[in-house]
Amino acid sequence: MSVQEITFVIIAVIGGVSAVRMVTSRNVVHAALYLVVTLAMVGAVYLVVAAEFLAWVQVLIYVGAIVVLLLFSLMLTKAPIGRDTLDNQQRGLAALVGMGVLAGLAFLIQDSFGGSKPITLHQATTEQVGVTLFRGFVWPFEVVSVLLLAALVGAVVIARKDDPAGSRRGPDRRAPLRRGSEATRR
Amino acid sequence: MIRLPYLLFFSAVLFSAGVYGVLARRNAVLVLMSIELMLNAVNVNLVAFNAYLRDAALTGQVFALFVITVAAAEVGIGLAIVILIYRNRETINVDEVNLLKW
Amino acid sequence: MLSVLGQVSGGPAVAHGKLLFRPIGPELILVGVALAVMLLDAGYPERHHATLALLSLAGLAAAAAYSLSLWSWTGPTTVLGGMVAADRFTVFFRLVILGVAALAVLLSYQYLERADEVRGEYYPLLLFATAGMTLITAAADLIVVFLALEVLSLSLYLLTGFSFRRLASAEASMKYFLLGAFSSAFFLYGIALAYGATGTTNLAGIAHGLTGQVGPLSLALAASGLLAVGFGFKVAAVPFHMWAPDAYQGAPTCVTAFMSAGTKVAAFAAFLRVFDVAFSPLIWDWKPFVWILAALTMVVGSVLAIAQSDVKRMLAYSSVAHAGFILVGVTAASHAGIQAAMFYLAVYPAMILGAFGVVMVVSGRGERGLTLSSYAGLARRSPLVAAVLALLLLSLAGIPPTAGFIAKVAVFTAAIQSGHWPLALVGVLASVVAAFFYLRVIVLMYMQEPVIAGGQREAETGFDAEPGAVGSLGFVAIAVPALLTLIFGVFPGILFGVLKSASIIRF
Repeated sequence: MSVQEITFVIIAVIGGVSAVRMVTSRNVVHAALYLVVTLAMVGAVYLVVAAEFLAWVQVLIYVGAIVVLLLFSLMLTKAPIGRDTLDNQQRGLAALVGMGVLAGLAFLIQDSFGGSKPITLHQATTEQVGVTLFRGFVWPFEVVSVLLLAALVGAVVIARKDDPAGSRRGPDRRAPLRRGSEATRR
Repeated sequence: MIRLPYLLFFSAVLFSAGVYGVLARRNAVLVLMSIELMLNAVNVNLVAFNAYLRDAALTGQVFALFVITVAAAEVGIGLAIVILIYRNRETINVDEVNLLKW
Repeated sequence: MLSVLGQVSGGPAVAHGKLLFRPIGPELILVGVALAVMLLDAGYPERHHATLALLSLAGLAAAAAYSLSLWSWTGPTTVLGGMVAADRFTVFFRLVILGVAALAVLLSYQYLERADEVRGEYYPLLLFATAGMTLITAAADLIVVFLALEVLSLSLYLLTGFSFRRLASAEASMKYFLLGAFSSAFFLYGIALAYGATGTTNLAGIAHGLTGQVGPLSLALAASGLLAVGFGFKVAAVPFHMWAPDAYQGAPTCVTAFMSAGTKVAAFAAFLRVFDVAFSPLIWDWKPFVWILAALTMVVGSVLAIAQSDVKRMLAYSSVAHAGFILVGVTAASHAGIQAAMFYLAVYPAMILGAFGVVMVVSGRGERGLTLSSYAGLARRSPLVAAVLALLLLSLAGIPPTAGFIAKVAVFTAAIQSGHWPLALVGVLASVVAAFFYLRVIVLMYMQEPVIAGGQREAETGFDAEPGAVGSLGFVAIAVPALLTLIFGVFPGILFGVLKSASIIRF
């Protein structure tokens, strides 16, 4: 085993265990924290396989932004604690399906790459990623921007507090905004 | 130096944990978190294959970037929908939200 | 096709020397108009609803005109580094989708006015979804397939929950979202495996890689299976259909009409391209899987539709069954099969959009009057609407001289030609079962008295006998599809003539 492999195995064990703990934890906040650990370990895996830029993106966006969003939604919805409230009755069946998927994938991996040689890793620099992104993948990049815009607009519309404001014919569409500015004035 | 199956197996563990979570959890946010786990499994796969194939075009890595972006957008929308449901029903348990038959 | 593999080092997009933006013109127009509508809404809060709808319609018309001009495109078959295909296949599906979107705008205008849920963000979201749909028909790379699928799905999750004062709408949105995101994960895993097996995400490149047997084959098989699962979710094929009845029932009816027609067309266009191009070397391996999917979908969809008492739910199961019929054409995987599936995909949206349109017109404010019993005696209250619905239902059931009949004959013929006669038999039996619940509605409309429960009828159905209540826009939106089903039923040659060159997938 090479140094990379040993490092990887340690990381993968921590990541895998916390992934399992995340989906079985009885406390939502613990689940979120286990998710943080898993995501951080995935980031570490990226470092091990020399995908440096991706590792930082992983930490910034996943651990930084997405987990915070998820914690926010847990907080805003006052998620309860306890196995019965968090898991449904088909836990056994779900476990069976999960194990089945794992077995299937393990078989597939063994079958396809069981005897493959170790990979010699090449560092992909941020510069290379940038060049590829803006050369070969300009169009997908543009599509992603549209996707983010649609998500942004839509999420605001859906989550906006519904006074009759929702409708143009309601008393005043801009009501929530004004209330906000009053508050700041005070 | 690292063997590809190690990486792929790690990804498979994350993916199946995610599948279990989606099927077993009642709370919508926890379901969403499990889906995130599955997306991460995909990313590990993509990056691993990128390294294995020595893909100079870095398709795998760039694809993983797109997946991360899409995941962020999905979580944003998920949060909006969850809050919408919670405001109406005071619960976000997927099996209690049952006005429509499943 | 082969050049794709050679471009790996230089970055694909520059290999052609310059970026050709013309083939993605329709999408650029759609997104541009969406932004314009959004700005108009933000800048002029007192603007008229009609202006927004008209601007959206104009955008759709411009995109359609632009697509039409691409019919005679003679440039390279893929542009932007092999990401986007420029063939007549794409033009055909773009036009279908843009037509669907235009009718959906008409329906939406009436729906939003009636439900008092006018919010300017509705039309941009609709246009974003449309852009996603048209883009996916042109996608020649799995990256673009995935992103376009997400653009359309995310917009539709939001549109489904758009009338959030109704609980069912919010619920439908959540279920659609969670299951959709779950299926996306499978789809992505499939893409990752395809990439691992062939070293590229380009559809032509994958086909090339699989023909040369470069990578491990079991990996490619697993990839095609997972991709089929992902597409199965999007087209609502059994057993991945669970979301469809809920989402269709809960969504605002105009959105239901839009997504039942549009998503299916878009997802099937991508399905055809991915499986008949990228995975064509594995055709004998994925065929049995799709075969089973098709048979299950037809039977389960038709049988479950019988048990429904809610019209929207019944139509949802009917649309599930139709996904099965289209899959029969996909399974045939011959040129005739593709052609038949495309014919079906041109006719089906008209039928389902029209049917949901009638449901929208008949149901009152706040989505009441959706039970089957509220259709009793509709012919007496509103003969014209009843006649339109009857025509559309006959077409959905596949009874001549409607287009639905021709479409079914075409897919079954293609299946028999490819040696799948058992599948065709299952299809015919499923059609017979399905005919029952369509005819039941027609019988209700024409042969029963309107149910009047203590003078509550008006309040319950919210629909009064005046023809004016339908609204001229709403009527156009249901009359056009009905006419189309009749025209294509009597003169199917028009469409088949177009399909002769449109059904050749270039990549």
